[in-house]
Order: sequence, then C-alpha cells, then structure tokens
Amino acid sequence: MKNWKLKEIVVMSVLSVVFAVVYLAFLPVGKVLTGFFGPIGYDFIFGIWFIVSIIAAYIIRKPGAAFLSETIAATVEVLLGNAAGPMLLISGMIQGLGAESAFAMTGYRRYNLGTLMFSGMMAAVFSFVWGYFQSGYAALAGGYVLLMFVTRLISGAILAGVAGKALSDALAKTGVLSGFALGKEKRKKHAA
Amino acid sequence: MNIQNLSLQYDDMDAPVLQNVTFSLGEKECVLLLGASGSGKSTLSRCLTGIYPKELEGMMEGEVTFEGMPVNEASPGTMSRRVGTVFQDPETQFCMLTVEDEVAFGLENICVPSEKMEKRVETALEEVGLLHRKKAAVISLSGGEKQKLALACILAMEPPVIVLDEPTANLDPVATDEFIALLSSLKELKNITIFVIEHDLDPWIDITDRVLMLGRNGSLFYDGPLQQGVDRYARDLYEEGIAVPGAVRMAMETGTATPPYPLTARGLAAGLSAPLKAVSGRENGPALIQASGISYKSIFSNVDITISEGSFTAIAGPNGSGKTTLSRLLAGIDPVSSGRLTRPFPDKDWFQHAGYVFQNPEHQFLTDSVWEELAYSGAGDEKIEELLEWCGLTDRKDFHPFTLSQGEKRRLSVATMLVKDQEILFLDEPTFGQDAKSTSRLMDLLKEKHRAGTTIVMITHDMDLVDRYATGVVVMKDRKIGFTGNPDELWNEDLVAFQLKEPFRVRTNRLIKGDMYVPQ
Amino acid sequence: MYLNNLNPSVKALTILGLVVALALLFDPVTPALFTLVTIAVTFLFGDFRRKYYLFYLIPFTIFAVGMLWTTIAFADAPKNPSETVGLIWWEVPREDVLVAVSLSFRVLAFATMSLLFIFTTNMVEFLLSLMQQLRLPPKLAYGIMAGYRFLPMLTTEFRQIRAAHRVRGMGQESRWKRYRRFAVPLLAGAIRKAERTAVAMESKGFTGTRERTFYRNIRVRKKDWLFPAGMGAIFLLLILLSLRFDYFSWYQGQL
Ligand SMILES: Nc1ncnc2c1ncn2[C@@H]1O[C@H](COP(=O)(O)OP(=O)(O)OP(=O)(O)O)[C@@H](O)[C@H]1O
Ligand SMILES: Nc1ncnc2c1ncn2[C@@H]1O[C@H](COP(=O)(O)OP(=O)(O)OP(=O)(O)O)[C@@H](O)[C@H]1O
Ligand SMILES: [Mg+2]
Ligand SMILES: [Mg+2]
Repeated sequence: MKNWKLKEIVVMSVLSVVFAVVYLAFLPVGKVLTGFFGPIGYDFIFGIWFIVSIIAAYIIRKPGAAFLSETIAATVEVLLGNAAGPMLLISGMIQGLGAESAFAMTGYRRYNLGTLMFSGMMAAVFSFVWGYFQSGYAALAGGYVLLMFVTRLISGAILAGVAGKALSDALAKTGVLSGFALGKEKRKKHAA
Repeated sequence: MNIQNLSLQYDDMDAPVLQNVTFSLGEKECVLLLGASGSGKSTLSRCLTGIYPKELEGMMEGEVTFEGMPVNEASPGTMSRRVGTVFQDPETQFCMLTVEDEVAFGLENICVPSEKMEKRVETALEEVGLLHRKKAAVISLSGGEKQKLALACILAMEPPVIVLDEPTANLDPVATDEFIALLSSLKELKNITIFVIEHDLDPWIDITDRVLMLGRNGSLFYDGPLQQGVDRYARDLYEEGIAVPGAVRMAMETGTATPPYPLTARGLAAGLSAPLKAVSGRENGPALIQASGISYKSIFSNVDITISEGSFTAIAGPNGSGKTTLSRLLAGIDPVSSGRLTRPFPDKDWFQHAGYVFQNPEHQFLTDSVWEELAYSGAGDEKIEELLEWCGLTDRKDFHPFTLSQGEKRRLSVATMLVKDQEILFLDEPTFGQDAKSTSRLMDLLKEKHRAGTTIVMITHDMDLVDRYATGVVVMKDRKIGFTGNPDELWNEDLVAFQLKEPFRVRTNRLIKGDMYVPQ
Repeated sequence: MYLNNLNPSVKALTILGLVVALALLFDPVTPALFTLVTIAVTFLFGDFRRKYYLFYLIPFTIFAVGMLWTTIAFADAPKNPSETVGLIWWEVPREDVLVAVSLSFRVLAFATMSLLFIFTTNMVEFLLSLMQQLRLPPKLAYGIMAGYRFLPMLTTEFRQIRAAHRVRGMGQESRWKRYRRFAVPLLAGAIRKAERTAVAMESKGFTGTRERTFYRNIRVRKKDWLFPAGMGAIFLLLILLSLRFDYFSWYQGQL
C-alpha cells in the first residue's frame, strides 16, 4: 500500500463500487441465458465479471490493482445482497488473482491490448478451476466442460480485455485520468 | 506566510496560469483574493496549502513558506495543521458518512487522543451552529449546511490559517451574511488568518483588511486596502472581471463618481439626493406554463404557479426551499407525482422549444471537448466560434469540459443552451461563480433574448439581478410558494422571513429617505 | 441488540468460517435446518427493519427455486434412474431431486447468513474494526470508505445524466455511441469527484500511516466470542444429527 497514492485508492474503490452495481445487473442476464443453454449460459457473459480488474489495473498500473478492485467489487456486491453471499467474496478474490497474475507475469510493465486480453483469460482460467471444484462442473460431461471453458476464455478476452480497454481509453480522452498512469502515458504519446 | 514570485503552468496549457505572484499573509489578517474567473485563484489556493506541487500535473516555480519554512519540504500531514482549506465544491470534500465522523476524521489524522476528541468535535460543531445535526448523514445536509460542516472540520483542527475558495457561492443572502459573521467572530476569538476567494465582495467589505487583485494574465496587479484599490483601478476592474462594490458601481452609473468612491450603501446614500430608479417595464403577458396543485414525492405538495409568456421570472428563496425541484418540474425534467401541469408544446418535441441549465454545470456535459459540447447542441462552426468567443473559451476549445475552472464550466453549460433559439429558457443559478464581467455579459445576453420574446425562468440568490432584470419573482419558502408578484412589490415584503436581502438600490434609497421607504 | 453490538470482524470471520464449513457438506437437511437457525438467530438477536429483511429474502428464495428447476433439468445421467419421484407433471430421478434440493438450500443458507451480517452491521464500524482488529491499512480502509459514499449518489447521477440527454436532445448516433455517452460521463464524473475527495482528505492531514487515533474505538469483548461459539456448537449439532440418521455426505461437486 506504501507506493499507492490516496487518490489512486479512492478512484479504484469508486470504480469497484460502480461495477459492483453493473455486476449485479448482469446476474439476471446470466440466469436467462442458463435458462436457454444450461450451465454454459453464464460463460458467454462471464467476462463482464472480470472487467473492473482490467480497468483498474490498466488505469492505475500498480501491483494489486486488479486483485483489490475485484475483491472490493465482490464485497460491495455481497453488501448489496447477492444470493451467492460470502462465497462470492472468495470467487471475487480468485478472479482478481487470475487477472493480477497476468500483469505480474509481464512484470507490471506492458499494458497493451494483448496483455489485457491475456489478463481477462487468466481470470477466466482461475475462476473456472475454482468453479470446477466449488460448483462442481466435475459432474458434467467432459466435452461440455471443455466447451464451457473455451467459451469463458473468449468471453474473458473480449468482454473484459477488449471492452475494458475501450472504456478506459474513452475515459482517458476526457482528461479526467491526467493524474493517473494511463492519462500520463496518453499525454506523452500526444506530445510525441 | 510568504509567497515568493510563484509561477505555475499546467501541462496541457501553453500559457502559465500564475506569473511570479508575490505576497504575504500576516497574523490574524483577513485577505480577499479578487480575480476573473479562470485567472487562477483556486490554483493559487492549492499552492498555499501544499497540494501543489505534490498533486500538480505541470510545473511550478517560486517558493511558498510558512513561518520561514518552505511548504513543500514540510513532512506530509504537518501542513494540514497550519493551513486548513474549504474547497470550492462542497459536495466532494467529505469522506465519512455522518457529520460527527467527518469532523473527527481530521482530529484522528493529527492523533488527538480519543478521549479529547468528543469535546473538540462538539465545540467545532457548536461554533458553526451544526451541533443539532451531529448524528445526521452528510448527504442529507443542504448546500449551506455542507459549507458550514466543511468549515467545522477545519476549525476543529485549529490551524492558524484558513483558506476559503468561494465559500458562499451557493448560499442564500442571509446564510451568506451568517457565514461571514461567523468567520469574523472566530477571527477575533482565535486570531486566525483568513484567506478568502470571492467574486461578490460586498458582504465581505467589513471584515477584509486587505485585497489582492489577480489579473487575467495571472499576475497580481494590486495588493493593499480595498478603498485605494478601487479608487485607483475602478475603470479597469470591470475588464479584469473583478466586481467593484455595489456602491461604487451605482456611483459610477449615476455619474456622481469621483474617488474616493463610497464602498457601502450608507456612503453612497450620503452623496445622493434623488432615489435611484427601478428598471421600467415589469408587466407580464398571458400564461404560458400553468401548474395547479402539483406535488412531487415528499418534497412538494399541491403548489400552484403560473409562468406568463414573455416574462423574465426569477425564482428566489432559502437553500433547500425547493427552487431547483420546482424548476425541474416546470421544465418537465422530473414528472409531477400529481396535479395538473399544462405546457404550450407537446411533450415529444418539448425540448426543441425549451432549454434548461442545471445547477451543477457538470451535469450538462455529454461530450469530450468544449467544441463538441457546442456542436452537439447543433451549432454550426461559425456559431461555435462566436459562442466560444462569448464565453471566453476560444483557447480551451479542445479541453474536456471537466478540466475547466468552476466559472468556465458554468459559462459553457449556459452556452450549450443558447445555441438553439428556444422559446423558453430555464436557468438554475446561472451566475454563481461568475466574475463581474461574465455575469453582466450573460445577463445582457439573456435580456437580449428576453426582448426578442424568449420567456426566461431564472433561479438566483442575487437580489440585485432580480431588481435589475426580472419582470416577475417567485419566492420559495419551506418548499411552498411564499410570494409571487413583481420585484418592486417584493421589496416591501418581509424579506428576512424569506432569507433574502433587499437589493443595493433599494437599501440605498431607504437610507436616503431616512427609514421609511416609498416604492417609486 | 446483541448482533448489532457484536464486533464486526468477529461476526464476519465467524460467518465466513461457517459458510466454508457448510460448503464442504452436501445433503438436503443440514443446510435447510441451518437456514432456519440463521433466520431465527437474526430475528432473535438482531435489531433491524423486519420488512426490508423479507424484501431481500424473497428474491433469494425465488433464485433458489429457479436453481432447483435448472439443476433438475440439466442434471447428467443419474446412477440409478429407476428410482424416481413424481413432481407435479413429470417423473424425475429421485437422486436428481435430492441434489437439486440440497443445492437450493445451500444457496439459501449462504444468503441468510450474509443477510444476518448485512442487516446487523454498520459499514463504517465494519471498516473501523477491520483497521483496529485485522490491521487493514488505514489508507485502503478510508479509500474504500470514500468510494463507498458514492453508492447512494450513483442513482441520482444516473437520473441526472438521463435528464441531460433529454434536455440536450439525443443526437442521431449509433447505439454503442449512445451507451458510451451514458457510461463515460458517469465514470468520468465519479473519477473527478473521487480525485477531489482524495485531495480534500489529504488536506485534512490524512497520510495513510498507522499512527492515528480513533474517535470510535471498536474492541473485542468477552461476550463477542459467544457468537462464534454458539453458531459453531449449533453447526456441530447438525452434523451429529446428520451422522446419527446417516444422511451425512461430503460435497463431491454435484451440480
Ligand atoms: N487540473 C487542471 N489541469 C489543467 N488545467 C487546469 C486545471 N485546473 C484548472 N485549470 C485551468 O487553469 C485555469 C485557472 O483555473 P482556476 O480553477 O484556478 O480558476 P479560478 O480563478 O479558480 O476560476 P473560478 O473563479 O471560475 O473558480 C483555468 O483556465 C482552468 O481551465
Ligand atoms: N430526489 C430527492 N429526494 C429527496 N429529497 C430531495 C431530493 N432532491 C432534493 N431534495 C430535498 O428537497 C429540498 C429542496 O431541494 P432543492 O435542490 O430544490 O433546494 P434549492 O432551493 O434548489 O436549494 P439550493 O438553493 O441550495 O439549490 C432539499 O431539502 C433537498 O434535500
Ligand atoms: Mg476556483
Ligand atoms: Mg438548487
């Protein structure tokens, strides 16, 4: 926490709060999809639930951003009343760790589209492994499980990675990020 | 406190905001910083408190010293014990949920022992008169109360210097006077140094010891007592966007003006024989918007009001009395819960005919740059240029609206509504945070539109504006209509009950005629 | 009331522990009983607006029931399809029903426990306790606190922006662009405010170091341990029951 600026923490938690609401809003969507396609329904949109990690990390670029933001988001979600209850905290942390791991692997240096998509996919991997034991995909047919996994990977890359970047860049354009890593980078590019 | 030729430039601007500013603050002095909107006042205040250069995206030269010790070398946290700040925007300076926690927060930071805290929290709240709201949630406070809370938080920490950035911008006249009275008593009590940024200096005249005048180019051009400053620069002040005291303005308008100018109504009255005339032409047309028995949530219950065609209607009243809510209902932004509301145009293209300027300028903005904002309202290129020129934002046209100064945001948000020629225009406190020049230019423009037949509904706390421009007034009180009629009638009402103050002209006239006042 | 004065950290950890423990088991009865116990405890020792509690509980119940159906519908081939039970209009393998019921009650148990926490805990005290008992860095704690304040503002902000759109008149533009016009101002505004708040906090002398005093000291008293002890005891009792009437079984990841 030492090398974090206070404003970075506050902004991170604000993002988490905002997206906690978004996350809740997407639960029914998932429910409907599962209604049609079965357990795989969630995997189509699963990436949504990683997006705050990507955005926070991409904007702030400090170790822990991805993990903390996702954890806070999960906590707020629980406080707002998510049926999954305390279990969600753990899922949230694990997803966060997944996203974090990707950035850790790049030594917190590269924040291009590739890295962000990769991060989204890592979050997908972690959450899937957790889900495999926790909500027992073991009981499902092998092929189906594989299909679920691939779907979630793609969803993570697109909905979290690509969409997350697009949104952050749009924000950067507004200049409100001038005090943060992303904004500074943009300005350098602009100057050059 | 010493400021030695301080210069500052933001990264994404080509000209410096401040140019070697030099001045000093003595003990238990009250210094007023005057300057055009966008001239860098808030920026300067941030330098005093050591926020800059720490948080600055740009470069800063020069030195700010407190008792001979450079501010930027002070260890983090120590500055806050010396200089307390009340920021321009009361919404965003709180981080806790309840009033007491908010005040305590500062004390916790400077490690006041827990057992002592309760006492200090209560005294601070006592001083600003918020003790009865101790347990209240911060969000539930009205604009005025938030300002007071912000002050209480600072007082509790007992710093020798207090910096206030437009602390009364959104307060009603009486609340403003109370606020200032509070400050002056505290100043005597605790002999603190006060550094105030304000546009409307009339209410501050009595407690200021010295004024600083900041030019548009970002350098100080005057430092000294108000009287001399006004006498010397009276003519240039307008250009520099600095409001001269009402008395001086009147004096110059009536032409009886030779330095030394009178600073107060009393002074002005002494030099006048005939009473000052009210503006003429305050008759109103047929009804345009008619509301009968409208209610909204828990805030309003059956309110009747009529906005007549071609009128210039001012809505005034205390903070939290429901002005904004009412105007939003009339403008059809919020739906009425019950009651009948008739408008001259069908709902679907209503906003082709009506414009609305929100109280918070940031609420108006939807795009990424000043230029786009105007383009989004459907202005052509040359029209945009013209508007940019009008609100003095030509060199900021590629900026994001959010990075503008408070007043600049205000002007832009108004400009976005001036693009189309609507028949009806609602403005919620369009002149707050504006310097003298932009205020009068804005009002002139509105007057022009009004002449051209636009119906204007304007919320304001500025009674002089009401007196000079309005053809009708609606005064809100306790979320009900307290008065409707034309301004001259209003001035005969019991204004204090409405938390209002009589405009300068009327006050002067009263002083001329002794104490009984005959409306002309 | 006891639950409201209970030390938040103790409360949170106890609940988390119970949830994890419960997650390891898998039978229809234990979670069902535990749900009832939790609700009972909440109402007996908690002080809150009963109406709202039901407000929350109902959707959760619906959620659980919905889960019941999907699990039955999408269950894989049962081990012994012969045993079936008749639900209203269709025959389903008994085993599937059991699985489904167990899962649903699990969810309910989790839900009721987080409700117990939500309805009897003050957010600020929780954060304070996290700082004072669990050594959460003040910088993070107060950062979160400041962010949390935005929650109530969000809805008003959203309504505000929608109003702005109506007033300004929607431009003729693609759907994506229009969403962007909602999302970006909302977030941009939030970030600006957050930044200002942070600056204000620092100007009030907040440095984020652990050296700070507290206006409200949250302590762990003896009676706080009653809660974990009591709940733990009940939980063990339930397990003994399940062993006694041998329906006890570990969770093997049924869905
Ligand atoms: N963080 C920032 N980044 C870039 N430019 C800024 C920033 N803050 C202010 N500015 C610019 O610097 C100039 C001075 O801003 P400042 O807020 O100090 O003006 P001000 O005198 O306080 O105006 P007002 O009376 O309207 O509050 C403005 O033109 C504004 O656009
Ligand atoms: N959406 C809302 N829900 C509940 N109360 C509200 C809402 N909006 C405003 N209020 C309350 O209604 C009262 C009137 O608010 P409003 O903003 O109209 O006052 P105002 O006259 O505009 O005050 P000011 O002069 O400070 O702008 C205030 O006490 C406010 O707290
Ligand atoms: Mg300012
Ligand atoms: Mg208002």
